[in-house]
Amino acid sequence: MSHLSQERARDRTDRLNIESIVEVICSALSCGATGYTFSTHPTNSQILSALGTSGKVPHQFDLYPVVPYAEGYVRLANEKGMTGLVNEILSRLSLPDKAKLLVEGGVSALRLDPAGMLKTYLDAELKGYLSTKPKNANLQSVLLHEVLTDLCLGLGEIDLLNVFAQHVHDNYNAKPGFVTYNFPRFIEFFEGKGFSLNGAVIMTPFNSLGYQMSPSRDACKATLSNLGEGHVIAMSIMAGGYLKLDEAIEYVLNLPNLTGVAVGVSSKEHAQTTFTRLSSRTSQTSELVRRPNGLGQ
Amino acid sequence: MNNPIKLGIVGLGKMGILHAGITNSISGTNVTAICEKESFLTTAAKAFLPKRIAVYKDYQKMMTEEQLDAVFITTPIGTHASIVNDLLKSNTALSIFVEKPLASSYEEAKVACEAATRSRGVHMVGFQKRFSPVFQKAKQLIEQGIMGDPMFFRGYCFSSDVLREGSAWRFRKNTGGVLLDSAPHLLDLLIWFFGEPTSTMAIKKQVYSSEVEDYVHAVISYESGLQGHVDACWSVSNFRLPEFLIEIYGRDGILTATDDYVKFAPGRGSTKMGGAQTYHRQSFETSPPFLLADIDYTMEDVAFLNAVRTRTKLEPSFLQGAKVNALIDRILESTQKG
Repeated sequence: MSHLSQERARDRTDRLNIESIVEVICSALSCGATGYTFSTHPTNSQILSALGTSGKVPHQFDLYPVVPYAEGYVRLANEKGMTGLVNEILSRLSLPDKAKLLVEGGVSALRLDPAGMLKTYLDAELKGYLSTKPKNANLQSVLLHEVLTDLCLGLGEIDLLNVFAQHVHDNYNAKPGFVTYNFPRFIEFFEGKGFSLNGAVIMTPFNSLGYQMSPSRDACKATLSNLGEGHVIAMSIMAGGYLKLDEAIEYVLNLPNLTGVAVGVSSKEHAQTTFTRLSSRTSQTSELVRRPNGLGQ
Repeated sequence: MNNPIKLGIVGLGKMGILHAGITNSISGTNVTAICEKESFLTTAAKAFLPKRIAVYKDYQKMMTEEQLDAVFITTPIGTHASIVNDLLKSNTALSIFVEKPLASSYEEAKVACEAATRSRGVHMVGFQKRFSPVFQKAKQLIEQGIMGDPMFFRGYCFSSDVLREGSAWRFRKNTGGVLLDSAPHLLDLLIWFFGEPTSTMAIKKQVYSSEVEDYVHAVISYESGLQGHVDACWSVSNFRLPEFLIEIYGRDGILTATDDYVKFAPGRGSTKMGGAQTYHRQSFETSPPFLLADIDYTMEDVAFLNAVRTRTKLEPSFLQGAKVNALIDRILESTQKG
């Protein structure tokens, strides 16, 4: 999805229904995409389900869900206040999940065990998506939304990030993942606290403009060059639709240590052009970008 | 000031959490205390936040026990002015950042301004759009007179935030409504671009809310003869994110400013140098020390903290915030006249 301007994003969103999104995804997979990354927006559960029943998925592919669907929660917080937001989240949990968190129902009785709450919440948030995923889809990673990753980073709160990583690793047979707009600080933070990023996926912006790359393009590139462990997936490679595809590819191909790129597309033709070009360029050059994996939602 | 700035946050809603995350990440600043009066949120803050951050239910107690250099006020709008007043009584050197708008009325805004005049600190209102590189460019182009004598303007702020009535304070009379919620950004930009208007005529409409307006249309006039209209609605159904637009029609062309881009389209026969120009937000070189949500928030917090460190005044000050409240009051008054 191009976000060059909200007006354009709105126009394109209006045109897409579930059926056409399935077409777009299948087209991308046919042209070399190896995975699909999506937020836990309720529509994405329907998309996964429709993918499974479409019979059009050309091959095995990887899933990279990003949790939580932050924009939805911001809207709920505006509508109901923070306590109302937590009440709403609780009301969506199943009875056994609620029982894990509550002594006798209601927010005031919430047992405030941050690790337990995070795990229960994650399980509930992911359940709908994993139960509807197509048979040939493999859960490669579960990624934490940048708002939460970067908030923990800003506050210096490593424990929750670590609980998240451990829980995904232990319970989902998938790589823990983090979306961040502060890549160098994220790596320093983990390494400084003595935690290993072994096996983790880090999805973070990389583009020639330095757009959404804090503190700067050069600092992000230097961190990538010195990366010891972790799988880095570049996102925002076209800087929200500002750069042309070829110049975007040119830049990321020259970056070291990238595992893949995530690119948003908004039509079947767009998917074909994007992933055909990405696939041809990556096979001609080294294996810098091996996994053009994804469609942004 | 060479020691790290000790910061307090009053109000642990989404804006309090956002500013806590950004400011604590900025070198030379430590969030040392958070105050929230709702019991559940206080308990949650104690459980989730790093232990070095003290959590209070009462901001007076926080002021007594902590040696704070600055406080962010991110509570419901109707409480801003009295908290400013109380905090500055406790410590006249305290610097204060108030999330927008400054108050829920001009009368209340005056209380905050009055308190600030007795203080040695730095006082700022959170109109972060002034820190957006795109709107800064728009301001620069307007000052250069790129579109020639402005004839009229139109502006809007639209979002899909309210598609049913909510229970939070922003739906309650005197503290809520679209005019106090998202419209202040638009009105502040207009005041920043053109100064204070002299008169307004407005209508409002309730769509989902029973106590507050969901839509406002206002015609705004300036002494210079410039006139324009703005629409504010938080109930438009297909806006994934809030959108702001100001379009100025001048004798030499049209200038359009949004969160995403600023664009100048010269008129036929325009003699202005440079021709058509478009600047997207991606084209501005920025080096934010940290990103959590839009870059505007980071740059706003950096500007505030720099001003606290150097004890220099900065805009948008409380006085600027009060001008926005005065305009909101006049628009509301006009809608009541019918």
